Amino acid sequence: MWQQVELALSQSAHRVLVKLASFLPGLVALLLAVIILTAIGAGLAALLRRTLTAARFDERLARNASATISDWSPSHSPTALIARIAFWTCVLIGFFIGISAFDAAYPGESQISIVVIPYLTHSIGAVLLLIAGTLIARFLERSVLIGAVNAKLQYARILSLGIKWLVLVLTAAMVLDHLQIGGAVVELAFGILFGGIVLTLALAVGLGSRDIVSRSLERSAGSTFDPIPGDPDYKVSTPSETLRHF
Amino acid sequence: MASTQTNTDLNAAPTSAAAGSLLVSLVPLAQDAFETMLANLALAFPGETVLVATPDAAPQHSSDSPLRILPYTITTVSASPWILTATDYLNAYRLAQDNHATACVLLGAEAQSLHPEAIRALAKSAFQYDLTLAHYDLGPREGLVNSAILYPVTRALFSTRPRFPLAIDLGLSLRMAGRLAAAAQRFTSTGQNDAFLWPLSEAASANYTIAEISIGSRTLPQPGAPDLNALLAQITASLFADVDAKAAFWQRARGTQPAQPVTQTTPIAEPSPDIAAMLDAFRLAYTNLHEIWSLVLPPNSLLGLKKLSLMQPENFRMPDNLWARIVYDFILAYRLRTINRGHLLGALTPLYLAWTASHLNLISSGTAPEKHIQDLAVAFETDKPYLVSRWRWPDRFNP
Repeated sequence: MWQQVELALSQSAHRVLVKLASFLPGLVALLLAVIILTAIGAGLAALLRRTLTAARFDERLARNASATISDWSPSHSPTALIARIAFWTCVLIGFFIGISAFDAAYPGESQISIVVIPYLTHSIGAVLLLIAGTLIARFLERSVLIGAVNAKLQYARILSLGIKWLVLVLTAAMVLDHLQIGGAVVELAFGILFGGIVLTLALAVGLGSRDIVSRSLERSAGSTFDPIPGDPDYKVSTPSETLRHF
Repeated sequence: MASTQTNTDLNAAPTSAAAGSLLVSLVPLAQDAFETMLANLALAFPGETVLVATPDAAPQHSSDSPLRILPYTITTVSASPWILTATDYLNAYRLAQDNHATACVLLGAEAQSLHPEAIRALAKSAFQYDLTLAHYDLGPREGLVNSAILYPVTRALFSTRPRFPLAIDLGLSLRMAGRLAAAAQRFTSTGQNDAFLWPLSEAASANYTIAEISIGSRTLPQPGAPDLNALLAQITASLFADVDAKAAFWQRARGTQPAQPVTQTTPIAEPSPDIAAMLDAFRLAYTNLHEIWSLVLPPNSLLGLKKLSLMQPENFRMPDNLWARIVYDFILAYRLRTINRGHLLGALTPLYLAWTASHLNLISSGTAPEKHIQDLAVAFETDKPYLVSRWRWPDRFNP
């Protein structure tokens, strides 16, 4: 019996090692492709930077074109923008070549390539989704914070954090869905969490501004005459109302 | 580096006052205001032929009238009718060029409230100087954005004297009008018809002659929707972009302006303005926006703001050099895109309100408002090397 156990173990270990041995060349091919293309990209970027600097590309563009390109370029330098685009394009091409080499390293009937390659592309999409969602969340958080502070809302910070976490939760749900992780559990959890955050925000805004809302309703449904001296709602015109900023 | 005189002193010899035709360019006015305007122009230029460009339908004039009406068509309705925009400058230059005018007078909204003598003085100066700006008699609580930011910045950076850089009543020589039209073209070609122009910085950077004419009191038009946040962001964005575009000039410009004579007035006994709302806004912003301000302002300025946030309302006083450095740091952050520009300018509003509260506190304690504004402008001039250093070496002084 022990001989059979030993035979089973050695056969399974042999199968795993064979599979690993067939997996490694593809992985090495992927890494090599990325490294070589990254090196080519770095060289190309340096060459482009030297050439464009010698040709005074930034100055020519600033004279002839609108400021938009310079405004959005890193360090206001279109040369740097072009060099970076060239570098990252080569890196991306390296990834594609590497993934193709990884795929080619497997025989056609192999299960691993059918599963891993699509999952790799989904992973890249998920990473991009995560980056975009994080940037949008930070932008919206700051926008809401500044807008709420300038509107003199005391709960500005809560509002901005709520918006940020709304977007982050939505992003996380989209990423997990893209990676096909969790399935219905993730959808349900997202719905509960999202709804909870929205309810919290609604309560915070509603409770915080109930006086404003009630006064607004009174004004729209109540008297049409302006308050006069002696009326409890009468307000003396203060000097601050005569401030003219422009 | 040698000092550069950026504008000719008023006492220096102006350009030769060659006789030429004058174009008066008007913005859309209500019918009764337009008729009043025409009457004022007739009084201002008795017996002289004056071209009057207007988008309004002119009433029937007798053949003896010295005013020659030039109708022009407005293609798009301005979203900022209370101020002169790029389209106005472009229209004025084209009309002046087409009708061989040698000088232009641009009059903004509510121009019918101008005294005929003021219009005549503007026109006379337009023949003598490239750029003539109006000086308005404002109350102590009016034109606060101009007093806080526009005037000190343009005076310090461009070494110019006029008190109202964004005046809506201007006298222009033909070459000045052409220069402004070229600047306006850059905006209108990209669809930004309502962009603001800065005639003072254009004239200073071209080394044109500049003059200022006091026109007394005038009804100043107000923005239709007076949202301070949006308007302040719009105006400061335009100013900061102009400062960025002319960096090569103002980094070389040297010299300070002689002190303007300050009218000694007896402080009017009136209740101190309610600055509590402004201070509350500032304190709320300090609590919530401190993290954003720390991306833009150095530790010294943040410490100054912290001290301000702890001050009692009656003692609330923002030092002039603190405000000057805050404005300079925001100009630099605008250029470097440290944070999103919309966010940056939104974060400036509470700081401006803090300055306003400090200014109102000061004038209610007896200080002449104009004296404070002149002291503030001197502080901006004194701290100009700070901006130049940070502009040239932003990484070295990165907060």
